[in-house]
Amino acid sequence: MSTNRGNLKMAMVSMRAARWRSLLTMLGVIIGIVAVVTVVGIGEGVKQQVVRQVGHFGKDLITVRPGRTANRGAASSIKNTDILFGLNGTSALSERDVQTVAHAPHVTLAAPLGVVPGTVQVDNGPKQDNTLVLATNSNLPGALNQALLYGSFFGPETEEDNVAVIGRQAAQRLFQESVPLGRQFSFRGQNFIVRGIFADFDTTPLSPTADFNDAIFIPYQAADRVTGNTTQMYTILAKPDAPGQTGAAIAAINHSLGNAHGGQHDFSVLNPEQTLAAGSNVLSLLTTLITGVAAISLLVGGVGIMNVMLVSVTERMHEIGVRKAIGATNRQILSQFVLEATVLSVAGGVIGIGLSLLIDLLLHAYTSLKPVISWQAIVVATVVSLVVGVVFGAAPAIKAARKDPIEALRHE
Amino acid sequence: MAIIELQNVSKLYGFGDATNVALDEVSLTIGEGEFVGVMGPSGCGKSTLMNIIGLLDRPTHGQYELHRRSVAKLRPGARAKIRRDTVGFVFQSFNLLPRLTVLENVALPLAYKGMSLSRRLRQASNMLERVGLQEREYYYPRQLSGGQAQCAAIARALVNSPKIIIADEPTGNLDSASSRLVMELLSEIHKTGNTILFVTHNPELTRYATRVVYMHDGSVVHDEPTALGEIAATARKVMYSIPTKTEEDDLAGVSVLMKTVPDVTQSKTKAKSGRAAKASKKKPAKSKKKERA
Repeated sequence: MSTNRGNLKMAMVSMRAARWRSLLTMLGVIIGIVAVVTVVGIGEGVKQQVVRQVGHFGKDLITVRPGRTANRGAASSIKNTDILFGLNGTSALSERDVQTVAHAPHVTLAAPLGVVPGTVQVDNGPKQDNTLVLATNSNLPGALNQALLYGSFFGPETEEDNVAVIGRQAAQRLFQESVPLGRQFSFRGQNFIVRGIFADFDTTPLSPTADFNDAIFIPYQAADRVTGNTTQMYTILAKPDAPGQTGAAIAAINHSLGNAHGGQHDFSVLNPEQTLAAGSNVLSLLTTLITGVAAISLLVGGVGIMNVMLVSVTERMHEIGVRKAIGATNRQILSQFVLEATVLSVAGGVIGIGLSLLIDLLLHAYTSLKPVISWQAIVVATVVSLVVGVVFGAAPAIKAARKDPIEALRHE
Repeated sequence: MAIIELQNVSKLYGFGDATNVALDEVSLTIGEGEFVGVMGPSGCGKSTLMNIIGLLDRPTHGQYELHRRSVAKLRPGARAKIRRDTVGFVFQSFNLLPRLTVLENVALPLAYKGMSLSRRLRQASNMLERVGLQEREYYYPRQLSGGQAQCAAIARALVNSPKIIIADEPTGNLDSASSRLVMELLSEIHKTGNTILFVTHNPELTRYATRVVYMHDGSVVHDEPTALGEIAATARKVMYSIPTKTEEDDLAGVSVLMKTVPDVTQSKTKAKSGRAAKASKKKPAKSKKKERA
């Protein structure tokens, strides 16, 4: 053990002696670790946000989507989900279906969500064509458990009026003020009056649910009027009449909607977990992909370390000879060089973790992503860099250890 | 008591036609506490002999007993442990590790023994005090003079308190003052009971030895005891009375030293005794210079 302390010092010394080479060698490991830790952190962060959102919306929010989003295996577990839903042209859901869902047994309320294409213009200002305009009905705040910060949501009696409720971010972006109540904007040639502003939604970037903080909500009838009944409904949200009745409500909706569609099950009724699964599927696919790329980078980093250690062994052949002459066994030489490779690689790992934490801070500060770097990720990163060092340091170290002392001493 | 016993030890390099005999059936017994000088021309196998005695190398044939234990066929790990515990090496080019301080260099053999850091640094420090380098403990080898570096290297060889010190031309890179310093140090170590083998080209240094072994072409050609403080008789001949080589000698492969060894090259030296007288005039002048330095 005490030999290793000497070796550790020696490893530090030789790292310092070849500062640039060591840094460049570590770069592969650094990039790999940063990529893995950051990507896993982002994935974890998004997952937690989605979970929080589901918690916020309630565990009993039922989502009806057009198309067969999910294929079910035995015992109604989801086998796989179709991430490309909604790309198949016209939606199978219509306004009539909202009524069907609302009147199904065990369902208290139903709210549609439809995307209304078009540009928003405020006071003859620039046209904002990236604003999400959603058509819904008066039940939306109830379905989402979402409170309003200012004003009120449109009730059933105003569902035909040109009114709008907007998210906080949209308020800032469009009107440059936080309480633009009573202000107007024009949308598809008609003026809409802002009558409410939503409290902050838990945003869910990367999730198929759009960012509601930056959206404008208008009544469905008004939307139909301005678009000529071409609003694409992408979701119907529904709530069961009592908590714990979600399963019964889903069955009832399936039955009623199936009947209404003439026996065609061209829609999916999902509970919150299943909605989540549809979203996190994309996410985990992405995470796996980038983690794979990062793993390759780690591998390349390991090869880099092996290369540098081979050079180092050749350079220090004479030293190896001297060490053997004064009594170092092959095993001791081996452990010295393995330790050096490990120090390089672990130093790379530590720098990588530091950089990941920095990137994490920057992401928190400047983007809506909220990465979560868990201690598990840090432990795994450290262990992986350790393993890379040992595995890729082994070959050069064996070469060093097996060298004949006389030959090594002759080497200059 | 014999500490080193070589029986018909040979070392061959290469194969077939290209076989090179570095040691040719050398038999040598060295007793405990001897201070043996090894002389001979370059390439005569002195270093190979040292490497085999120091267990850095394995003989191709023959028996080697160290402390009455046969060590000729040991595995590398076992040889490393014997090197560590019973042999101290001193090299011509010092071979201190440049990135470690003098103290760390000296402490290195103890590390391989598994001694704790503080203990080995203390022990190394004591050893440096013994060789008179304690105030340079934290210097790096490049900051030392040649003589100091060699003293540090001797401290490193000694730190494990080995029975045998093997010095392969310890003064080869040093001026005569430093050479004397290093040899005095070895001489002191010898007085504490160590067995010392050293290779040298300088006959002057045989003053320190109790025995001188002459080698040529891989064989021990002469072996004589010598009184401490006296230049060995045969070596003295090299200094004062040996003729320089002639062209005929070159063609015959006869070296200067070879001519001094009576039983091997007697006939050849006799023939050239006339020239020997002329050449001898130059040599004493050279040795006087050395004494002054």
